[in-house]
Amino acid sequence: MTATIIDGKEFAARVRGQVALHVARLKADHGITPGLAVVLVGEDPASQVYVRSKGKMTVEVGMKSAEYRLDVETSEADLLKVIEDLNNNPDIHGILCQLPLPKHLNEDLIINSISPAKDVDGFHISNVGLLGTGQKSMVPCTPLGCLMMLRDHHGSISGMNAVVVGRSNIVGKPMAQLLLNDSATVTIAHSRTKDLADVVRGADIVVAAVGRPEMILGDWIKLGATVIDVGINRLDAPEKGEGKTKLVGDVHFDSCAAVAGAITPVPGGVGPMTIACLLANTVTACCRANGLAEPEGLTA
Amino acid sequence: MNVLPDHRLIDGKAVKSRILTQVNAYTKLQGNMPRLVSICIGNNPEVAVYVRNQERGAQQAGLPFEQLHWDHEITQEACKTQILAMNDDPSVLGIILQRPVPDHINVRSLQSAVHPLKDVEGMNPASIGNIVYSDVALAPCTAAASVELIKETGLDLKGLEIVMIGHSEIVGKPAAMMLMAEGATVTVCHHMTRSVAMHSRRADVVVVAVGKPHLIGPEMIKPGAVVIDIGINQIEQDGETRIVGDVDTKAVLAVAGWITPVPGGVGPVTVAILMRNAIVAHQRQVAAGWI
Repeated sequence: MTATIIDGKEFAARVRGQVALHVARLKADHGITPGLAVVLVGEDPASQVYVRSKGKMTVEVGMKSAEYRLDVETSEADLLKVIEDLNNNPDIHGILCQLPLPKHLNEDLIINSISPAKDVDGFHISNVGLLGTGQKSMVPCTPLGCLMMLRDHHGSISGMNAVVVGRSNIVGKPMAQLLLNDSATVTIAHSRTKDLADVVRGADIVVAAVGRPEMILGDWIKLGATVIDVGINRLDAPEKGEGKTKLVGDVHFDSCAAVAGAITPVPGGVGPMTIACLLANTVTACCRANGLAEPEGLTA
Repeated sequence: MNVLPDHRLIDGKAVKSRILTQVNAYTKLQGNMPRLVSICIGNNPEVAVYVRNQERGAQQAGLPFEQLHWDHEITQEACKTQILAMNDDPSVLGIILQRPVPDHINVRSLQSAVHPLKDVEGMNPASIGNIVYSDVALAPCTAAASVELIKETGLDLKGLEIVMIGHSEIVGKPAAMMLMAEGATVTVCHHMTRSVAMHSRRADVVVVAVGKPHLIGPEMIKPGAVVIDIGINQIEQDGETRIVGDVDTKAVLAVAGWITPVPGGVGPVTVAILMRNAIVAHQRQVAAGWI
């Protein structure tokens, strides 16, 4: 058996297409343009790349993109003021503060100063709690992307056994909540789990988010299971030439693909979904702010 | 004849009195404590029992306890205004919003109005968010009580396989998050789970909160496992009304290593946790310079 490869690039493009359609409708029917503000403090090169591609895709789907590039020395008070202004700005529906922040800034304090309704990253403590109790919230982008892929592949995941490997605040925990809210039976496994292979073998759905390269092996996977690989690990790849590196996931792709029913590759799997879901969240936030029906298929 | 206590039964009353003694030691040291306020909206005879238990627990803990009864016609807006006023009132330590409330009251919105530092029930979304992020000091009382009772066995939760049956917002979900924060491998089962027994039979600990009398029998439990029964169900048996849990206690006792009885297990500990939450709230309010 060879697994279906879930093409994240193609799927993310489809999601962005749906977002663009909703944006066009919001403009035509209500004269509203969803707006996403991205705040970047300092000059972290990776963050700059992210922010640039976020901005580009925001514009591509027809939304308003506002970028705030602040000096690395920006004080907490000044950053809070920027966020407060964005909270009060009716043209901005989503606010994203690019992490990590420089050390002198209190990340929790900054994130929790974003209005929960505009918190398109879903990291505000109230959104965390709302999701944790199955209430309407803003949902973190990466797990939302995984959920969309699973729904798309399976139709319904109700009653399926799902194992989430990894209990990070950004992926593992919200992923488990989302799977539960979709009525899967959910196990959260992690570094303390005794017989991880055995736990994973019971799963119809495996979501790997541990940050350990190629840890999950083919003989851990139940025949026909769906494997979602959130991990992105950079390894040395001397076979490609001196000093070359490659990206691998938390899943050993070849051995798992031989057993699984469907699998996401790395790169080109979950990765591209994150920004697509950020855009989806911004449309959702915009609809909620204006008392309009939420875009179907783009929310949890 | 004296009957020796069954060591497999975890005595919730003993745990309760131990916690309340600890709380009492704290409140004595502090002297004048601000008060807990219990809010009942409308007339609920079934709530009265809970409130009475809480009042008694508060007394033992050395905490002033005020009971408010709001008319069932009260508006959402009026409720919210009063709660916000209590948030600003330093003589109010914590706010307890008794459920159920009348249909026209949005209880979630009121829970969100209670300031997290006064949220002794752990019901504000921010309080739940903290639990998800593994800051479990101010947790929903029933969920915290079940964790407390598992610890009572002396087992180390790290690496334990725990199956939570029931995924309610008040109990199942927060309990699962708390257990995970303790390092357990947690599986959450619910009404859509294909085979609960398949999961529960491999578990070192089974926590049950579904509200179905005697749902869990011995065939679902691994020998020697811990069984925490959160269910409280009223049943008619031989012409009498009895309170039973979600577990067939007598039958499961033959298999389990430990089990919490109903009544006398999770229930009493829940009240004690409320009081312990109150002193956590007090410490946090002091640290925040509120009092």
